[in-house]
Amino acid sequence: MSSLALLAEIRQSSERLPYEVLKLAEPLLNNNQLTSSTEDAWLVYEQVFLAALDEGQIDLAKSLLHILRTRFPASQRVKRLYGLVNEAAGHPDESQNLYAEITSADPTNVLALKRVIALLKAQGKLALAANELVAYLDTHGNDFEAWLELSHLYLAHHMYRQAAFCLEEVILQQPANHYFHLCYAEINYSMGQWDIALKEYLRVVELSTDNVRGFYGIKVTADRIIEMLASGARAGKSRREPQALSGLENVPQVPVLEKLSLLATERLVAAYSANNAAAAPAKALEDWLKQ
Amino acid sequence: MADGTEQAMFLDPAIRDWVLFPITVIMVLVGVFRHQLTILMTGEPPKPEPKDIRQGKALMRGQILAQNNSYIPLSAFAERKKYLCAAYEEGTYLKNKDQKDQGAANLMADPKNMEVMMDGMKKQMMGIVPQTLIMGWIQFFFSGFILIKLPFPLGVRFKQMLQSGIMTPNMDVRWVSSLSWYFINLFGLRGVFSLILGGENSADGTRDMTAMSTMGAMGQQPGQPQDFNKQFLSMKDSLSIVYHEWDLENIEQRVLVKYGKQARLFKSSRK
Repeated sequence: MSSLALLAEIRQSSERLPYEVLKLAEPLLNNNQLTSSTEDAWLVYEQVFLAALDEGQIDLAKSLLHILRTRFPASQRVKRLYGLVNEAAGHPDESQNLYAEITSADPTNVLALKRVIALLKAQGKLALAANELVAYLDTHGNDFEAWLELSHLYLAHHMYRQAAFCLEEVILQQPANHYFHLCYAEINYSMGQWDIALKEYLRVVELSTDNVRGFYGIKVTADRIIEMLASGARAGKSRREPQALSGLENVPQVPVLEKLSLLATERLVAAYSANNAAAAPAKALEDWLKQ
Repeated sequence: MADGTEQAMFLDPAIRDWVLFPITVIMVLVGVFRHQLTILMTGEPPKPEPKDIRQGKALMRGQILAQNNSYIPLSAFAERKKYLCAAYEEGTYLKNKDQKDQGAANLMADPKNMEVMMDGMKKQMMGIVPQTLIMGWIQFFFSGFILIKLPFPLGVRFKQMLQSGIMTPNMDVRWVSSLSWYFINLFGLRGVFSLILGGENSADGTRDMTAMSTMGAMGQQPGQPQDFNKQFLSMKDSLSIVYHEWDLENIEQRVLVKYGKQARLFKSSRK
């Protein structure tokens, strides 16, 4: 397969393989094989440009950008790339101006809008970034990646309720991805919603067999619920209403919880003993389980 | 000529050089010209405003909620349902909130809609005008010419198709008149155009004819703007009757069954 075809394939799958892209493109650039008559020449230039930024080769990126800018002097797309170079070279203010120009000319330019938010985040202005992102999501409510990003921003401020809301949106749009259920379970655990957390952890191991992080979650949550039910029963002997405890409205019976906890232990031990290289983690697990 | 003798007619080679070829060449050239003209006039499709996007995406959120509600807990679903229903009712997401009750009547007022409609009309005119001109031209100059003789015999039924413009009842159907040659070109040049101009070309005249004939049948023209207020209200109705059942209600049993800790149950057991 020619390197051009390989590059096209990487573009299609939108994999982020900067090193491979640069390797493939190097002979093309050096031998001047990328002429304007090549079918996707400009796309390749853009691709190699982004790869060069990823690899920190700012000089190469600048020379490629120069070619693109002479060919497309008025293009908004190239303008955004110019902003990227400025970001990489450490001139965030210039990038900000460029992105502002793009979005004022075309307020529907999603990539530039996202760049503005990413820039704010990179500068550490998380609250501002969250504000911008909320405004963005008001218009583009079906962008689940943006919801996920917003949940990360909220988590950075320990706003669990808001983060959980964002992840609910993500799960609504992508219900079959176990990672989103995992994040949702962990947020619910942090909020003390044990029942939802347990069920979501179970969903994780149902979608992704032997998911270690999911089983850790099940183990911790199930044990915790059992403990709380026991102490709750002890505290109110006259009225046995463990259901009244917050976060435990919808939990399974204790025997089921014990079964789940046992299952988690078993699968975790099996996961680590399956490969010999994991001796140290296996030891750590053993200590943890013995607590 | 019912007695079966061969009709002895000889066509002047000048007819071939001055009628047959010119018609074909002109048809091809007009097709190419039309294609270029369409490219020139189409330009970029109008960009949607953020408010248009917001409107559409808000509707999409309702659809997704109605579809995937079983994947989020009841509290999360109830919260969203309440919010979205209220928003749909209020018209929070409508592009022109104040015109919410006037409905589709003043859709024409939106200049962008006008532009879309004008665009469609321009394209259709571009299809119809050149074809009409060429047909008139051929009828004026070349009516009554016999251009070619087909190398195979045909039934009498084809007479109307192949000899339009010639009023001779007894002539063999194999002779093709100039006007018919025009029609054969009109419908037959599609392959040639896709060879010259690529698959997605707008040189073909027949597409406009089908567009014309179906236009009356279609209730809604393409590009006709939708009435979002109505769609929001109907989405609100369908959301309000959604019955929520959390998919994870019996997940413990499912996981225990999956990892072989429990026999498969026939009915999902609830606690």
